[in-house]
Amino acid sequence: MISRRHFLSASAGAASVLASNAPFARAAESGQVVVGTWGGDYGQLLSDLIDKPLLAPKGIEVLQDVANADPRKTKLLAERQSRRGSMDVACLSDSDHYLVETTDAFEAIDPAKISRLDKVFPELRTRTAIPHIYSAQVILYNVNQVKAPPTSWADLWDPKWRGRVGLADILYPNNTIMAALAAGGNMSNYDPGEKKLMELRSLDAKIYPSNEALAAALKSEEVWLTSMWLARGFMWKKAGIPLSHVVPKEGAVSIVFEASVPRNARNKDGGFAYLDAMLDPKAQAAFADKMGYVPTVSDAVLPEDIAKQVSLSEADRARLLKPDYKYHTERMQRTLDFWNKEFKG
Amino acid sequence: MALLVLPACLLVLGLLIGPMILMFRISLNHFSPTQLMIEAFSFDNYVRAAQDPYYQEIVLTTLGMALLCTALTLVIAYPAAYWVGRLQSRWKSLVVIATLFPLLVGNVVRSAGWMALFTRDGLINTTLLKAHVISEPLALMYTPKAVVFGIVAVVLPYMILTISAVIESIPRDLEDAAANLGASAMRTFWRVILPLSAPGVAAGSILVFVLCMNTYATAVLLGGPRFKMMAPAIFDQFVRGNNWPMGAALAFMLLAVTMSFTIFGSIAFARRYRVR
Repeated sequence: MISRRHFLSASAGAASVLASNAPFARAAESGQVVVGTWGGDYGQLLSDLIDKPLLAPKGIEVLQDVANADPRKTKLLAERQSRRGSMDVACLSDSDHYLVETTDAFEAIDPAKISRLDKVFPELRTRTAIPHIYSAQVILYNVNQVKAPPTSWADLWDPKWRGRVGLADILYPNNTIMAALAAGGNMSNYDPGEKKLMELRSLDAKIYPSNEALAAALKSEEVWLTSMWLARGFMWKKAGIPLSHVVPKEGAVSIVFEASVPRNARNKDGGFAYLDAMLDPKAQAAFADKMGYVPTVSDAVLPEDIAKQVSLSEADRARLLKPDYKYHTERMQRTLDFWNKEFKG
Repeated sequence: MALLVLPACLLVLGLLIGPMILMFRISLNHFSPTQLMIEAFSFDNYVRAAQDPYYQEIVLTTLGMALLCTALTLVIAYPAAYWVGRLQSRWKSLVVIATLFPLLVGNVVRSAGWMALFTRDGLINTTLLKAHVISEPLALMYTPKAVVFGIVAVVLPYMILTISAVIESIPRDLEDAAANLGASAMRTFWRVILPLSAPGVAAGSILVFVLCMNTYATAVLLGGPRFKMMAPAIFDQFVRGNNWPMGAALAFMLLAVTMSFTIFGSIAFARRYRVR
């Protein structure tokens, strides 16, 4: 016999099931996972290498919420107080991740739910994200025009490159770091970079609104040198731009693209299953082959020719500089204001 | 009858006034790089923005661009609007659709097309170089001129359609009467057509001015990183700097400048042409 209490609890359950949009889709580790990600090659590769081959067989349907990092970051911050967020997985760069993490917006990584966590390089692990792929900020130069390549960031200030150094506006934090390193600063002191940037400005450095616009300028040989991710350089080389790269003496700055599960994700188990799949060795190797980003797990093996183009040597890896995230975040407003008001002003 | 305006009013209240109140509240908060927003109740952001030469210059650039583009659009649009307004042909509806056609292409897509035209190795430079008209590529992209060209092309249909609708309603007999009394075509225009079409000119100019003040995509894509107008500067604070309080304060400053110029302009125009 069904008691009144049983009846009420059963109806309440049914009501809550009916009230939710996709009741059964939100069951553990199945159903729908919304992934906030970049579009373009990155989104396509996620779809081809992770969504379809790894998650579809588990009954997980992946929906991509495609946007650039800035809108995604803003969205995460805006909805962090909401009970139900719009993403189950959020892809961000390491610096952006740090900023959003300070607002306690992400779930802690649960090793029980990410079976491949032990394969992740320990130096890349963080409390609330898995590292997906990484690369380093290096000097790219046109091999036809630059016969004696620079060896350091400071070499970009050589007057013989007047008007030939191009920078991407969107990479203003890293352009500031580059100038700081050239001027004797370090990852916890960007201040010397400000004077150095003004010197670069008087050397007629060109600024382009996007990485793509910078690539077009490198292609048309309007500029010959730039500071850019090694992975981007790899892709541009593949696209036929005559480029080579130098790891500067002062050190290359690392960038890690990470993924996290927001605290208010509707399908957390599905989100963690997605993070686990992102660490799949085959998928990681394919990202290196297609986009030039280096795997973050120890068992992803790259073909030798690809490894040579996208990885850093042992010596260069030793000089790889990791951002001081706290300093970087706290200084961000000053970095942006200086870039906008002084350097570009 | 008053109930007829209710749906529109509710929509505006819910989706415009509500978020604006929220934004105003945000603009009074303080910014912290780690906590992002600290609850406060001060006008610091407004004071700082108003005193900052950087923002003063951006406001002046935005205002200058908006006034220049509105004036240019008016001069280019009026003859076209007169022609459309006076057209008595079965093709008239096609002409109106053709005027509207540029609005069917998104702002960003249109600007991307112009980028293909204007870049160093774009169509214009390649053609001129091949024809030996120039020896070095011209700097067409990332200049204020490119932005003016872009904005005027975007807002032109609004001005043409607004003015042509008013010109259509001016009886042609008035022009004939003026001619009959010996007025030249120019005098007829200045003394009859222009004053009678003044409501259209005012409405079109206000519409275009407001659109120009809020230009974002054209300014970013054709003006380049060094050219700053208010909308991209607001975006910078909100999205790149995560400084919502400052972004919100700048948005209200833009609103205040746009509204005061619109109101002042409308009053001045109404006095001059006795528009009712």
